[in-house]
Formats: sequence, C-alpha cells, structure tokens
Amino acid sequence: MGILDKNLSIRNRNKMLIGVWEDEDSLMAAASDLVHDGVKIHDIYTPYPVHGLDRIIGVRRSKLARIAFFCAITGFTLVTTMIWYMYVIDWPLNIGNKPVRFAPSWAPVMFEGTVLCTAFGMGFFFFWRNRLVHGIKNELLDPRQTDDYLIIAVETGEGVDNNAVLSTMKKHSPVELREFHHGVQTTI
Amino acid sequence: MGHGHHIEIKQEQFVFSPKAKRFAIIMMVLGLVFAGIGIATLKNGETASHHTEATHNAAGTHEEHATAATHEEHGNVPNEKFGPRAEFHNLEKPASTRIWANVLVAGIFFLMISLAALFWYAVQYVANAGWSVAIKRVPEAVMTFIPVPLVLILIALFVDKNNIYHWSHYEHLHLKAGDAGFDKILDGKSGFLNSTMLFAFPTILVTIWYILGRKLRSLSAKEDAGQKGDVSFFKKSITFSAVFAVIFGFTISIIVWLLVMSVDAHWYSTIFGIYTFITHWVTSITIMALMILYIRKEGYLKLVTAEHMHDMGKFMFAFTVFWAYIWLSQYLLIWYAQIPEEMAYYQLRFENYKFNFLLNFFMCFCIPFLGLLMRSAKRNPLVMTIFGVIMIMGHYHDVWFMIFPGVFGPGMQIGFLEVGTFLLVGGFFIYWVFTALTKRGLVAINHPYLEESVYHDTGV
Repeated sequence: MGILDKNLSIRNRNKMLIGVWEDEDSLMAAASDLVHDGVKIHDIYTPYPVHGLDRIIGVRRSKLARIAFFCAITGFTLVTTMIWYMYVIDWPLNIGNKPVRFAPSWAPVMFEGTVLCTAFGMGFFFFWRNRLVHGIKNELLDPRQTDDYLIIAVETGEGVDNNAVLSTMKKHSPVELREFHHGVQTTI
Repeated sequence: MGHGHHIEIKQEQFVFSPKAKRFAIIMMVLGLVFAGIGIATLKNGETASHHTEATHNAAGTHEEHATAATHEEHGNVPNEKFGPRAEFHNLEKPASTRIWANVLVAGIFFLMISLAALFWYAVQYVANAGWSVAIKRVPEAVMTFIPVPLVLILIALFVDKNNIYHWSHYEHLHLKAGDAGFDKILDGKSGFLNSTMLFAFPTILVTIWYILGRKLRSLSAKEDAGQKGDVSFFKKSITFSAVFAVIFGFTISIIVWLLVMSVDAHWYSTIFGIYTFITHWVTSITIMALMILYIRKEGYLKLVTAEHMHDMGKFMFAFTVFWAYIWLSQYLLIWYAQIPEEMAYYQLRFENYKFNFLLNFFMCFCIPFLGLLMRSAKRNPLVMTIFGVIMIMGHYHDVWFMIFPGVFGPGMQIGFLEVGTFLLVGGFFIYWVFTALTKRGLVAINHPYLEESVYHDTGV
C-alpha cells in the first residue's frame, strides 16, 4: 500500500451519500443517529476540531504516541552509542580530569538526541499516515468544508438503505444532501 | 451546548466524613508517636556531630573526585582571596537542633506547597484557562494553610536559628577582620544574611502573598453569592492573579535564599530559587490531584471527569521532567566547572550521602517518569495514587536533603523523627484543608468558564 495509492483517494470511491451542515450541534446529533442506526460513516470533514465527534463516530486512538516512544528509544540508543564511540573509543579527551564513561555531561547530548529523533520521527510518520506529501491533490468534497461547513460522508452499497440514511440526515436539518458517484456529485 | 449528552450543573456541598477525620487524626497521632520515639532515642543516643574524621576519610578515599581542589575545600585550606573559612559542621550541637531542623523542613515544605497551590490558582486566571474551573475549590482550600507553616518556621528560627544556620552562628561571634576565625565570605554576606532579614523577609512577603490569596478567595466567594452572568469578579480575579503572580515570581527566591540556600552559607547557586520552587510546585500539583481523586471517590465533584484527571496527570508528569531538568542544570555546571567555592553543596552531599543523592533522583524523576508516561496511567486513579505518594515522599526527602547535610554535616539519615514530623504536619494539613473545603460549595457555580470546564475533553 503505497502512500499515493489511488484506492485511498475519495475520488475513486464508488458511491457515497453526503450531508452538509452549517452548525456542529446538528451535525453531531445526525452523526450519533447514523451510528445508532448502524450506518458506516466514511468520514466527517470539519473546518475546525469538534469536541466529542471522535467518540461518536468511534475514531480509534492515534498510534502517534507509540511511534513517539519507539522513536525516542531509537534516538536514545543511537546517540548514546554515538557519544560512546566518539568519547570513549575513538578519541578520549581529558577535560578537567573528568571521567569519560557515562559522565553527567552526556546527559544533554542524550536528551537532545532523543528529542530530535522523536520530533522528526513523529513529524515524518504524521505526514506519511495522513498522506500529506508532495504531489497529493487536495480532495475536497465541498470547498466550503475548509471554511464554515461541516460534511458527513456515508458509504453506500449492499445492505445500506439509502432512503433510510437520507431521512435520518434530513431530521437534523442539513443545508444540502448530495449523492456521490465516481467523483460526480448530484444534489438530491 | 447540546452535544447529544447534556450535563446537569448542580451545586455540591462537601462533608468532611468522620472516616477521613479519623484518618487525619491517626496520621497526627502516629506522627506524634514516631516523633516521640525519635526524640527519646536522640536523648539517649548520639548527637549529630563528631564527624570530622568521617569527612576527611570520605574525601580521601574517593577516587573520582580526588583532585587537589576538593581537598582544599574539605580540608579548609586557606584560600588566597577569601582567607580561611569558619567551621560549622564540626561544631558541637545540642540534640534538640535535630528537632527544630525537622520543624523547619516541614514548615518550608508545607509553606511552599500552599504557596504553589495559590500560584497555580493565579496561573489559571492569568492564562484564561477554562478546563480547571471545576476543580478550582481545591487550590482555594490548600492556600488557606499558608499561615500555619509560617508559624512553624518562625518558631524553629526563633528557638534554634544559631545552630541551624552557619551565618547566624557566625553573626553572634561579632568577629572583625584580623580576628582568629574571621571569615571574609560570611562577613561579606552579612548585609543580607542576618537575623533581621531572616525574620523580616519571610514574615512580610508571606503576609503580602497571603493577603492577595485571601483577596482571590473572597472574590471567588462573592462570585458564588452573586448572579449568573456577572463577570466583574472574574475580571477582578484576573487582575489580582496577575499582580500576585508578578510579585510572587520576583520574590519567592528571596525566601528560598534565606531559609534554604543559606544553610550552606558559603555556597550559592543562581538557579536554587527555581529548583526549590519546582520541587514544591510539582508536589503541590500532586497533592491536589490526590485530593481530587479522594473527593471524587467520596461521590463529590461529579462534574470532574477522567479528562480533568488526565490533565492533572500531565501536569505531574511534565513538571517531573522539568524538575529533573533544573536538578541536572544545577548539578552539571557545578560538576563541570569544579570551582571549590561552588562545590561545597554537592561535595558534602555526594561524598557522604550517595544513597540519598541517588534516591532523590530516582524518587523524584525516574520512578514517576516511567510510571506516568503512558496515557492510561494518568487516567487510572490507582496508578496516579501510587506514583503520587512516591513523588510526595521523594520531594519531602528532597527538601530534607537540601537542609540536613548543610546543618549537621555527614552522617544524618531519615529516622523516626523525620517521618514523625512529616506525618504530624501532614495530618494537620489534611485536617485543615478538608475543613476549609467544607466552607463553600464545591462548584464555582457562577464562574463564566464553568460550562467550558464541564465539557472539557482531551480527545480520544
């Protein structure tokens, strides 16, 4: 699964139902009703973070913290090995008659190396996982989703009753309802 | 905010349950018993002196630091610039000094913790924080304890300052240049390190801070009695918090220099003020977190969720790291420069108290760092309690470690008296603070950010 895999792109999704909302309260009510009905929500696009939405649609906890931990361990090991090699094996220096092995003066180097690896590792994995790399085209279901509109995209297909989904959405007064078919959107 | 779930906001009244009262009283009684055993064994046993030989042996046998400079420091060899130094550790001291030094340690610990709670409260206002409104009664209760440890400190100073502080002992010798035993460094510092300053600064400064704290507390009470939507008290609180934060930030170091750092009167460290403050700041946050956990367990503070506890856990974790950062910063520079004047503090502690030196670092950094690293640990009351208690004990030991080696020289150890003093004052602290908590409703019902706090969410 490459990062530029076309199957990950929304453009190539077969069919989706799209609801557009103006305020997050109605959107959250609609989302929780849809989840309650057992509908699979593809994603929700909002211009700002909406607190509690992640819990409603069951977003899993990010693995970024674990990645940070492993990057930190890697960085710590790397930089300790580095300073060990430089300071003990390759070129021991007598500085003020201080001990060369595991001296307190190693601490800043170990700390900085750990932080450096963690920061770069987290940055890299974050961009990679979110497909934020050079060459990616922006995929907006609606240009207003970056401004002041909030959008729910529901996957349709076998076993999904489109009318039921639409009527659930309608209960919560959306601004617009649309159907998405191979990249083409038609207003319902 | 109709987020699918609606939380009903109701005022709550905390009741200091007889069980908790019993716990606090048992702590005090145990403390008294322990202190009694400690005092009894003091009277029968050795006094804390006669360590001259031990000092020289320790300095001589240790390989890593066996440089000419360290011997000079320890052997009290005359220094070209400053002349010989007055002796203090080796002086004969009455056994009761240990009691008063313990009172001083407990006083400083609980004074700084109460002050840190007040500062935490002020920071919430200055930072315009919303999440902490649901728990703001807890720092409000802790800050009421400020006068008690101040009294303890003043008693300890009044009774035995000459045996606790080297410079105070020296002051009463009234030596002039050229006299035998004249110490140029102590003489030079006598403009600041003298009895007037020792009593004046803590009394005046703590009174000023306490008055500002009372003002903030009364503003909060007036807000409760006022009307929903009235933000005038909130705005005034921000002003007073900012005033307090600035005054406190600039003056806290003075107290630390006088009460803690001057124990090693020849020595100074420019970072000591923040180091001492951070030790108490992280402990204060830990104590508040444990208090909130207890109050929630009793069925109060229904508006406080795991999200708030998670943020308190983050505070504990973050400042554990910050403590280690300051601890290392102070140690590293002194270690590297190896200037005799600067080394007195660590020389004494590292050579003769290696166990305590490492214990300090493990209890205040390594254990809580690894223990509180994971998100699930910060959201688990049991894990938080275990590591919180370790941190409180570790930081009390840290304060003990700042003062005791400086007063008594080598050879002191935590005993019944130290544990007893901690339990006695700690039990009284619990009794006092939880009584203060019953004086008001637990919810800041008219605070403009209450709703924001109630729906506080740190995400999945």
